[in-house]
Amino acid sequence: MTPTPAVSRRSLLKGGLALGATAGLATTGCAYIPSEAKAKVQLPRSAKAKIDGDLIYFNWADYLDPSTFKGFQKEYGVKIIQSNFDSMEGMYAKLQAGNQYDIIFPIAKWVQKLRLEGKVRAIDHGQLSNADQVFYSGSYYNDPWYDDKSAVSVPFTVYKTGIGWRTDKVDAISGSWKDLWNPQAAKRIFTLDDQDEALAMAALLLGYDVNTAKPSQLDEIKKLLVSQKKYLRAYSSDDVNNMARGDAWIHHMWSGDFAYLREGVVKKPENYDFEAPEEGTPINSDAYCIPTNAKHPGTAMLFIDYLLRPEVAKKNMGYLYYPFPVRDALPAFADLVKDTPAANVDVKELENSNVFRLLGADEVQRRAATWTEVKAS
Amino acid sequence: MATREVTRPSAPATPPAGRRTSVQRTKLWGTLLALPTAWIVGFFVSSMVIVVLLSFGRTQRDGRPVFGTRLTNYDALWNEVYLRLFLRSLTYAVVTTLICALIAFPVAYAIALHGGRFKSVLIAAIVVPFFASYLIRMYAWSALLSDDGVVNSALRKAGLGGVQFLNTPYAVIGGLVYGYVVFMILPVYASLERMDLSLIEAGKDLYHGPLRTFFSVTLPATRAGLFGGMLLVFLPALGDFVSAQLLGGPKTYMIGNLIQQQFLEGQNWPLGSAMTVAMMIGLTVLMVIYLRATTTRNREQA
Repeated sequence: MTPTPAVSRRSLLKGGLALGATAGLATTGCAYIPSEAKAKVQLPRSAKAKIDGDLIYFNWADYLDPSTFKGFQKEYGVKIIQSNFDSMEGMYAKLQAGNQYDIIFPIAKWVQKLRLEGKVRAIDHGQLSNADQVFYSGSYYNDPWYDDKSAVSVPFTVYKTGIGWRTDKVDAISGSWKDLWNPQAAKRIFTLDDQDEALAMAALLLGYDVNTAKPSQLDEIKKLLVSQKKYLRAYSSDDVNNMARGDAWIHHMWSGDFAYLREGVVKKPENYDFEAPEEGTPINSDAYCIPTNAKHPGTAMLFIDYLLRPEVAKKNMGYLYYPFPVRDALPAFADLVKDTPAANVDVKELENSNVFRLLGADEVQRRAATWTEVKAS
Repeated sequence: MATREVTRPSAPATPPAGRRTSVQRTKLWGTLLALPTAWIVGFFVSSMVIVVLLSFGRTQRDGRPVFGTRLTNYDALWNEVYLRLFLRSLTYAVVTTLICALIAFPVAYAIALHGGRFKSVLIAAIVVPFFASYLIRMYAWSALLSDDGVVNSALRKAGLGGVQFLNTPYAVIGGLVYGYVVFMILPVYASLERMDLSLIEAGKDLYHGPLRTFFSVTLPATRAGLFGGMLLVFLPALGDFVSAQLLGGPKTYMIGNLIQQQFLEGQNWPLGSAMTVAMMIGLTVLMVIYLRATTTRNREQA
């Protein structure tokens, strides 16, 4: 996967960051900890995996291969009613407003939030015939950081953030986030228009925690990001199109988007490569959850079980280009990105500290103010 | 209504026929107006009230906004960065408005005075593209104008070399002009339609050149449409965020983007609300000044 020096560097960083994180906890009573007590409260009970109506599905648009829906509908004789969200905030607002969905696809820290607030049901792994595909002995998901014992979630995909670049336009890449300051690609460089990702990239360069909300560190991050502006063409999260249309030569980019760009979009894939910078890369994951107020949680359980089938996971990975941590399907993903192994994600990396954690509103607001000032200056 | 009258024969002291119909008419209008009024109050006024109330609120630790009575959000607005953004947005909006006027007038003039029997077809041709979502049209522009896009490929084939259109202030203003020019064309067209064409002939008869006729006859006669159109373009352009987001670069962030960010990633609805309220106040002041200036001038004209 990633070259050894990067790994050792990253684990070194992890040690330091863990220290920093504990210090943060002690001093500020970091993030969501006060509500942690609520987590002890009985989780809403798991449903039995049994058809109890049509499936009301709520996900990002185009995240699953259409054949998945067709296959499930045919096999179980139910309909899947699809709706989409375009941001986690949007998804949360819909749930908050009382809308009823049977299955949702939150990013890790939102799983944590929804669980703390009692908005998602327990998922009994014993009900899932393919549970051993993700919850096998030694699997990271037996007890992921965002969901104790995976009690309310089943892992969906994993991804990391790195740099995609044009080998035919840029001579060399240094293996550092500094590549986003490469003068050879000046005005052809894009940074993701994403508060967490942009701040994390600069934080990693400076050797800080990707979740930092310390004013002094945020100040340094701001200066660093403003210094990047003269190399930058724009902030944009439309990474695939920016690369495919030739606007970007170097793009701060999500691993799965890169895999899709290279293997599924462009005519000359050999001109595109991906790097996972040595300072470390943010790594993130999302999951399947069943809201507490779901009308058909039984069907949702069956749908999750269906998605865990290796052949279904393979098909979806070939559509989405993000790895599904389904044991017997992962080799197929490694094969999909064999020419750019940096775009693969080792599930083990989720154990590092470069994950986006759930922060308190004051911390989010400080980070937002930094990001706003970067974009506005 | 009529049938109900019939089924109530014992109605005491029937008012004289003439008055009754007028009362009925007022009633009818009242009922007809009630729905839109309820709609406006229910959805427009109440959401405005929520925004105003929220601007004095704060965000709870779990990210939920709550009402309050604090001025902190307004204090936070006194930030040099925000002021600069406001000035930038103002510049973009003014330039957009002027360009729109320059485009809209000839277009509307040509259609109104020389469109003949194709007038409505031509107006439809201008309006129909606007049925498609603004967002999608902006996406289309970013595809057309990208470095390897259709326009640049054609330029390169013609040996003219490629041009970087996207991610520049020009692209943002171009997007705004494209997005809102129709709001200028329609009112100008309407006032040109209504104009008495003999006025232009009279101008010519008085040995005015075409230019002078235009400036001393046509333009003043259609001033109301033009001023209205300018307002209709300026206001949304100032608050726009889509153009800057899809066509802009690292230094084209606008006030609309700023506000949008507070409501999404920023998790700071109260601050976003305070920004909205401040902007509305600023715009109202500008608008009142503008309206007073234009109406007095119109009155002088008359």
